[in-house]
Amino acid sequence: MALAALVPLVPSIARADDAADFRDASTRRDIDALERIGATSSMWADDAWVEAARIAEANADYARARRDLEKAIETSRALARARGNASIGSGATSTTGASGDSILVQRAQADLARLSRVAGQSGEWGAVIAEEERLLPALQSPGDPRAALDALGKLAREHPGYPRNAMLMVQIAAGWEREGDADRALAWLADADRAAIDPLDRLRVRADRVRVLIRAGRISQAEAELAALAANSAGANGAGANVAASPGLIANLRAALERAKLRRDIRWAMWALLALLAIAATVLLRRGAGSWRAAGRRLVRPPVEAIFFVPIAGVLIAVASTGNPLVGRAVWGIAIAGVVTSWVTGALLAATRVTLKRAVAHALCAMLAVGAATYVAVDRGHLVDFLVETWREGPDR
Amino acid sequence: MRALPLLSLLLLVSACDDDEEDTTFTDTGGTLEIDGCGYSITTRIGAEPPKVSGKIIGMDPTPRLVHLGIVGDPKTSIVAQWRTMDDTTTAGSIRWAQGANLPAAQLTNETKGVRFRYEGTGSAMYMVHQAHLCSLEAGTTYSYQVGTGDSWSPVYTFHTAPDVTAHPDAETVFGYVGDSRGGYDVWAQLATQIQQRMPDLVLFSGDATTIGLAQPEWEEFQAAAEPLFASTPVVLTNGNHEANAINFYSQFAMPGDQENFGFTYGFSRIFVGNDSPDNPSDITGVIPQAMDADFAAHTDARWRMMMHHRCQWSSGTRHGSDPALQAAFGPIVDKHKLDLVLNGHEHMFEMTKPLFGGQVVTSNQQGTVYVVAGGAGAELYGFGTPAVWSQYVESVHTAAVIRARKDTLTMETFRADGTAVPSGAYSKTHL
Repeated sequence: MALAALVPLVPSIARADDAADFRDASTRRDIDALERIGATSSMWADDAWVEAARIAEANADYARARRDLEKAIETSRALARARGNASIGSGATSTTGASGDSILVQRAQADLARLSRVAGQSGEWGAVIAEEERLLPALQSPGDPRAALDALGKLAREHPGYPRNAMLMVQIAAGWEREGDADRALAWLADADRAAIDPLDRLRVRADRVRVLIRAGRISQAEAELAALAANSAGANGAGANVAASPGLIANLRAALERAKLRRDIRWAMWALLALLAIAATVLLRRGAGSWRAAGRRLVRPPVEAIFFVPIAGVLIAVASTGNPLVGRAVWGIAIAGVVTSWVTGALLAATRVTLKRAVAHALCAMLAVGAATYVAVDRGHLVDFLVETWREGPDR
Repeated sequence: MRALPLLSLLLLVSACDDDEEDTTFTDTGGTLEIDGCGYSITTRIGAEPPKVSGKIIGMDPTPRLVHLGIVGDPKTSIVAQWRTMDDTTTAGSIRWAQGANLPAAQLTNETKGVRFRYEGTGSAMYMVHQAHLCSLEAGTTYSYQVGTGDSWSPVYTFHTAPDVTAHPDAETVFGYVGDSRGGYDVWAQLATQIQQRMPDLVLFSGDATTIGLAQPEWEEFQAAAEPLFASTPVVLTNGNHEANAINFYSQFAMPGDQENFGFTYGFSRIFVGNDSPDNPSDITGVIPQAMDADFAAHTDARWRMMMHHRCQWSSGTRHGSDPALQAAFGPIVDKHKLDLVLNGHEHMFEMTKPLFGGQVVTSNQQGTVYVVAGGAGAELYGFGTPAVWSQYVESVHTAAVIRARKDTLTMETFRADGTAVPSGAYSKTHL
């Protein structure tokens, strides 16, 4: 009697066991255990095939991933037929219509299509994908990324038919740009343009070329390529349809170009100002000291202004170095400019006769020099964009 | 003869009926109860009160920028939203039927929509159409199209959230991405990658545009992702660049006040918070209180996630970690043992180790992992030496999919070309 009472509980216990088995196999990422569950008639069987496929894909075993996805689809449909509805897997309750498939099946079909596109019908690109995914993180890990960049370059060259070849080249270009080699970055992007099959990829490549040119300060070349992008010109090899660059993308790139031009003009003006001030200081110092040798002696002796400022500059540099690296670098530049300015102005004041007018002019020139040096310092690393954004939107709370 | 005046009167009334639709714009906002849905929608100041779709068909009523959202229970409801080419058409409805990829002729149900205008910069007027479908079946695929008269959108397909009580084997998939901001070529690539993974819902962590009031940017953002958004509802959080613009709140139907709200999808309870509110005191007041109350009311959720824009933990050189947000939100995150916190703002990808009380703990079971995926197209930022709490960081455009099952929660991250970021993978088992 007691045993008979337990009989109705058996399916529930079995289902609970199935759920636990699926959970445990998923947690362990045990692809074999998942495939064993898939071979049963458990309600988790189709899910088990799906999880097995994901693990196989993560392991770059694309042939197995494809097979497991196909088994997921077959199993899900079989379970649905056995239960007399189309509601198995991923909670679908009914899916009347042309396909009659559950969401699990639809998703598995989408994954199969994706794998075919990327890894090939029989997973033939699996090894290339695995190598690419192994090397890409090395581009931004501590240490020299150039070995990884060279290895990725070799991978791209040796597999021209690789479906992701164009975007692989985009990653390589980004890596070389981070290394400060804009020429190499642009060369890789030119190759990527030739290699691109997907119109979205080609658009991305051409937009990235404009971005790299802007960041490298090659304004006229950036303007020409942006104009070509806006005109939606044909591909370099004339092949393949292009996706038109949207007005928003063009506007965004144009705004970046205009900002770069403005910053370039301001930067040149600041350097010109610094050069003028340096020349003026040299002339005044020579005139005040009486000879070049005397002027040189004035400069060698640190004036009291510099002695006063150097420790302050040291503290500023030390504090800034503990925070944002971009800000730290800028503070370095500004502090050094401050030391140089205070040194030169101090030497000048010691060498010349000081009147109120001269003192005011002196102070103004010193402010201009520090201001110009400050702009040059924050212009590096696009810190000026950060400052403009902070000014517009307020500081991060 | 005696019938003639009556007939004339009737003709006069019917003629006036067409002219009676009031097109005066009042920017006071307002509320409209949605029939059959058990909820109402509210528009803000800067938009007119929502009204039931009218009869006016403008010069070009062709639907565009079709996208889905959720306001009510995602198991049984969905909202289709769209604009028309002319922005003057007031008529609009949705045709729909159960089943995937149905031909238009089989969309035998029709539900009238609602509409309202909002005022953009330079007094430009934009007409938003919404159609709310409620009383749908859980875990079911539907086909639909929107429009009016002879102008209809293509047929799209969506599915509702599963009933996880009836189907404990259900899996829900969330796409997660943020910060597109002008990089619409990259955004289009990532939206395509996300769509290929067939998510149930997209979570966008803010800064879709550079200027929230710039309507053309919103249209670029939506157009680049229309195939995704027309088949998958999207929930967004306000970013500092959206700046609480009327454009943002008018174009995306979301639950509650659209700023700080929670919803259940499958096994997950997700709370969305606006960390760039108009009133800064909300950061330490309204938002953590709402979050606390929401998770306290849903202790049965298997998985708990929060999405807000600014990054609490970040190695980025542009913004970095936000101690104020850590102090305001962190205790609530810890109290309710959230599994994931999803952020944007820093244009790169980073994932922390599991954290509790601001300290690294040994496993995901004991702490919360904070993710920054702010690389949907905006210019990338660099990062400094990763802190001890950082698991992985890369300055790269990425998106992720979060898969929630009854007993497992996983996340996989991929770049714009679909290459996986293996160190951007996360998994947790429900014990």
